[in-house]
Amino acid sequence: MSALRNTLAALALVVGTATAHAEGADQADRIMRGQYQAVLGDCMACHTRPGGAPFAGGLPLETPFGALVPPNITPDPETGIGQWSEADFTRMMRTGIGHGGRRLYPAMPYPAYSLMTERDIADLWAYLATVEPVANRVVANQLPFPFNIRLSMLFWNLLNFTPQPFRPDPAQSAEWNRGAYLVQGPAHCGSCHTPKTMLGADDTSQALRGASLQGWFAPDITGDPQTGIGGWSQEELVTYLRTGVNAHSVASGPMREAVENSTSRMNDADLRAIAVYLRSLRPAASPVPQPVAASEPRMRAGAAVYAANCAACHGAEGTGARQLFPALAGNPLVRQANAETLVHLVLAGSQGAHTPGAPTTPAMPSLAWRLNDAQVADVLTYVRNSWGNAAAPVLPEQVAKQRGGGDGMPLWPWIAGAAMVVCLVLLGLLAVCRRRRRPLAA
Amino acid sequence: MTSPPIRSGSRRELLASVAVTSLLASASEAGARGYSGSLPFRTYSADPPRPVLPGAWVFFTQDEAVAVEAIVDRLVPADDLSVGGKEAGCAVFIDRQLAGPYGHSSRLYTQGPFLPGLPTQGYQGEMNPAQRYRAGLAAIDAHLKREKGRGFAALPAVEQDAFLTRLEKGEVTLPPGSGGAQGFFNLVLQNTMEGFFSDPVYGGNRGMASWRMLGFPGTRYDYRDWVSKHNQRYPLPPVSIMGAPEWSAR
Repeated sequence: MSALRNTLAALALVVGTATAHAEGADQADRIMRGQYQAVLGDCMACHTRPGGAPFAGGLPLETPFGALVPPNITPDPETGIGQWSEADFTRMMRTGIGHGGRRLYPAMPYPAYSLMTERDIADLWAYLATVEPVANRVVANQLPFPFNIRLSMLFWNLLNFTPQPFRPDPAQSAEWNRGAYLVQGPAHCGSCHTPKTMLGADDTSQALRGASLQGWFAPDITGDPQTGIGGWSQEELVTYLRTGVNAHSVASGPMREAVENSTSRMNDADLRAIAVYLRSLRPAASPVPQPVAASEPRMRAGAAVYAANCAACHGAEGTGARQLFPALAGNPLVRQANAETLVHLVLAGSQGAHTPGAPTTPAMPSLAWRLNDAQVADVLTYVRNSWGNAAAPVLPEQVAKQRGGGDGMPLWPWIAGAAMVVCLVLLGLLAVCRRRRRPLAA
Repeated sequence: MTSPPIRSGSRRELLASVAVTSLLASASEAGARGYSGSLPFRTYSADPPRPVLPGAWVFFTQDEAVAVEAIVDRLVPADDLSVGGKEAGCAVFIDRQLAGPYGHSSRLYTQGPFLPGLPTQGYQGEMNPAQRYRAGLAAIDAHLKREKGRGFAALPAVEQDAFLTRLEKGEVTLPPGSGGAQGFFNLVLQNTMEGFFSDPVYGGNRGMASWRMLGFPGTRYDYRDWVSKHNQRYPLPPVSIMGAPEWSAR
């Protein structure tokens, strides 16, 4: 009798373990998928300091409105998101309203993440719950008044953001739709590449046409043949995203990090889908300017600077060297309307992304010590207007500004801030008037 | 890791040799520095030279400077080929060198014993170049004032050349610590040539005068487009570490 009982108990144990095992396998799949979602969303880029513990908080993001520090999103209960529920997380990704009703600033790209599917968000949550908790208190909101009032995001959302799921275009292929979903949703390419309105929202009429941020110009990534990636083949675009380098260009600045942490880890099907989608974007072609005449004194000076400083790697005719030094002839990055990235590269230098497909990490040295503002401007004017390139000349004043560490805070955020203060005062007055009127009525 | 072929060695020999080989291999790996990920790189990193700025003499006194300018102008006289040593900034170059690590032999062993060396061993005395210039110039000045009643710079060119020739032959007595007349002449000649031919960033070779004279293209570093163009003159003007006049349009 007792033998039978033992057998039954053993059987129950085996069955129980098997069930638990199956659930565990399900959960493991979910976590693995969630890890891939974290790659697609490049959570690492903002929420991890260079060399710091993964997801334990990042470096300050300098927005035109002030500094925001990406918080600790490890499951630490005190300083991370350990007290969040899955429902909190889902609501945050969809609406920008976090645990306890705190409103996030759209530096967290929730307008893009809100397009993500139920399942992708759930998987991401499952993964983040497994990340090692790290105690690291982050004061996220370091904006000046009045932008530091989180409630103001209520109005921002009313004006700029309508939560809605991704709507596939039935006229397009499944691959195109997957690409559109990735670009607009988890990969949030527009956060950098789409110009912003006065209120810091995406200017959707100019989606992915290139935008300035943190001392760099994220280039046009539409299929525009002049400034976009219209001249790149499907395979060249996939190679760029997978390795950070192709025959035309080498990733630099924030894109270098995006390649290392995100696109180089995406699977090939997703990279192909992104390429199909981006190459299909054909907004009204940007006008091709007249090249600056080679006889102009600044072009001659630029040519002299180029021959002595640039030609050894980029070639006398701007052809570069495949996989190592980017071509300058026909490189859309060189032809952007805004030369901020080019000035940055010449002044500071840059290093290629380190990826399994391109582990060499060739670098460009800083030339800030050797070239003055006019020489940097002239050599870039020369590069932008030689070998078939045509783009607006670069002026020494632009270089001087960037050498000094950038523009500083532009004026328009202050105008927006002043408008916010006026609105708040008006609301306050209204409230006071109402309260005064009430006793009279009673 | 393969071991050398063993003729008729025993199994024990083979194992021992494999063990030794692997031990050596792992030891050499432990000694090497390993990099993973990206190569080290920092933005804005550079180690540029500090350009010599025109201005007051740093090491020389006014009298010394006048004498040295006169000497370098005889060692490299102005002619159809180039400007003279003074106009090329050779004295400025020497002045700044003597005020810096070179002048103070700060990277040389300078303790005794001080024994006379062979000519091929160069200067073996206890003075550094700054001290040798100070002592040598003072002795020359005293010598000439005693002999001719005036310093080197005030002599006509013919007499300057004659005196430098005597100096070179060792026919003038200079303090032994400074390396003697011959040694001092050779020091000044060497420093004058360095000033005349080195990069203008160090104060000499003003306007890349000597490089233009020679057709030397300076700090350019890529001639791949010219490798196959035989018997053709390289057309680009010289470039200094700190640039070239052609770089500025304004």
